[in-house]
Amino acid sequence: MTADPADTSRRAGWGGWRGTPALALMLVLGLLVGAAGGWLAPRLALPGENSAEAGFARDMDNHHAQAIEMALIAFRETRDAEVRSHAVDMAMAQLTEVGTMQTWLRQWGLSPTSTDAPMSWLPAAERHLTGDGQMPGMASRQELARLRAAQGRDLDVLFLQLMIRHHLGGIHMIDGVLARTSNAEVRKAAGTMRTVQDAEVGNLTRVLTRLGGAPLPAS
Amino acid sequence: MSISSTGDGQRDPSVVRTGGAKAGAGRPGGKAGAGRPGGGRSGRGPKKPIKPVKIGSDRNWGPIALFSAVGLLAAGIVGFGVFAAVRDKAPEAADIKGLSNYRESQPKLVQSGDHRIGPIKYDIIPPVAGPHNARWQNCVGEVFDAPISNEHVVHSLEHGAVWITYRPNLPRDQVDQLAGKVRNRDRMILSPYPNLDAPISLQAWGYQLKVDSAGDGRINDFIKAFRKTAAVENVPCSEGVTTTGTVPVDLPAGAPAG
Repeated sequence: MTADPADTSRRAGWGGWRGTPALALMLVLGLLVGAAGGWLAPRLALPGENSAEAGFARDMDNHHAQAIEMALIAFRETRDAEVRSHAVDMAMAQLTEVGTMQTWLRQWGLSPTSTDAPMSWLPAAERHLTGDGQMPGMASRQELARLRAAQGRDLDVLFLQLMIRHHLGGIHMIDGVLARTSNAEVRKAAGTMRTVQDAEVGNLTRVLTRLGGAPLPAS
Repeated sequence: MSISSTGDGQRDPSVVRTGGAKAGAGRPGGKAGAGRPGGGRSGRGPKKPIKPVKIGSDRNWGPIALFSAVGLLAAGIVGFGVFAAVRDKAPEAADIKGLSNYRESQPKLVQSGDHRIGPIKYDIIPPVAGPHNARWQNCVGEVFDAPISNEHVVHSLEHGAVWITYRPNLPRDQVDQLAGKVRNRDRMILSPYPNLDAPISLQAWGYQLKVDSAGDGRINDFIKAFRKTAAVENVPCSEGVTTTGTVPVDLPAGAPAG
C-alpha cells in the first residue's frame, strides 16, 4: 500500500509545509459554508412576502376583525343568553387566532399588514371576492350599520345571519391556504380554525331556526 | 457488476459498488497512470480521483480547485442570504421621504397615554400622539364622511391605527382611492379634516406624512410601515366611537354601562 507511487505524490502536495495553512484555510471555509447554510436554510424555508401563507394570515386578520366587531356588538346588545354566549365565544377565539397569525408574520420577518388587494394571494383573486370587492363572507358597510341600529330579535337574527355567512366565507379562505401550504404550523392552525367555524355554522343555524330566521343566500 | 466483482470483490466490495474497477479496465491504454491494475485496484478506491495530480507536476491543482469551489459556494450562499433578507424587507421610518418622525423629535409626546375628559389642545395638527379621550374611535377599516374628534382618534393611533385625513375639497376619485386602502382593513381610519395644510395627511402614533395626491407611493409605504406596528397599546379597534363630530363624547363617570 505505501509503495503506491500515487501515495508519494499525495504526501508531497498535501502534507508539506505549504499544505498545513492550506488545510486550515479549507477547514475555516468549510465551517463558514456550514454556518452560512445553517443560517440560511431556515430562512429560505419560511414563507415569503408574497406567499399564500402570508397573504392568508394578513387577510384572515382583517376577516377576523370584522367577526370580532360583529360579535362584540351582539355581546353588548343582545338579550338572548344563547346568542350572548356564542358572541363572546367567537370574539375571544378569533382574537386569539389573530394573535397567532400576527406572531407568524413577525417570526417570518414580514410586515404584519399589507396594502395588497383582498385575496390576491390566491390565483384568480377576483373569483373569490364579493360583489363589492371584499373578502368572501364579509358584511357590507350598510349591513354593519343595520346591525348597530338593530335591537331585540331583529338584532339576534341579523347577527346570526351575518355570522353564518362570514364563517362560510372564512372556510373558503381556509381551504384556499390548506390547498397551497405545507407549513406544519399553518396547516394545524388553519385546520383547527376550519373545524371550529364549521361546527359553529351548525350551532348558529340551530339558534337562527329557533328564532324563526333563515340563512342569507351565499355571497 | 457480478463479473468484475469476482476478481477482487471479496477483498474490497466497495470497488464493485462504485464501478471504479470497470472504469479503470475500460481505458487500459489511455494514460500511464492507469497502468497499475494489480495493486492499485486492490483496496484504494478513494485514491483514484487524485491521479490527475501526477500529470500537472508543477502545480497542485487539487487544493486550488477545492478552495475555489468552497469559496464560490460560500460567497453564493451568503450573497443569496443577503438578497433574500433585503428583498423581503418592509419599509421603515427611515425609508419614507418627507416623514415627520415625532418619536425621534418629541420622545416625551409619544410616551403620554393619559386619558382626559373634554376637548384637548394639540400642537401638531392633525394630532399624532398625546393625551386623549378614554374612548377610542372605532378603527376596523372605518370610512367616515364627516370630521371626527381628535380626542377619540388619537386613542385609536395608540392602538396601532393609521389615520388618513384629507381636505374636504379633495377630488372624489382620490377620496375613493383612499377609501379602498381603508375599508374593511383592521386598524385603518379615513376622515375629512377641514383647514388641513396639505391635500392629504397620514398619521400613526408618533409619525406623520403629508402628500399632495392619493396616488403617491409613500402612502402605501407609510401604511405598511406603521399599521399595527406603531401600536403602543396592543388592543383591538372594536367597541369604539362609530359616530362623527369633532366634540369628544365622554363616558359618564360612575354611570352604569348601557
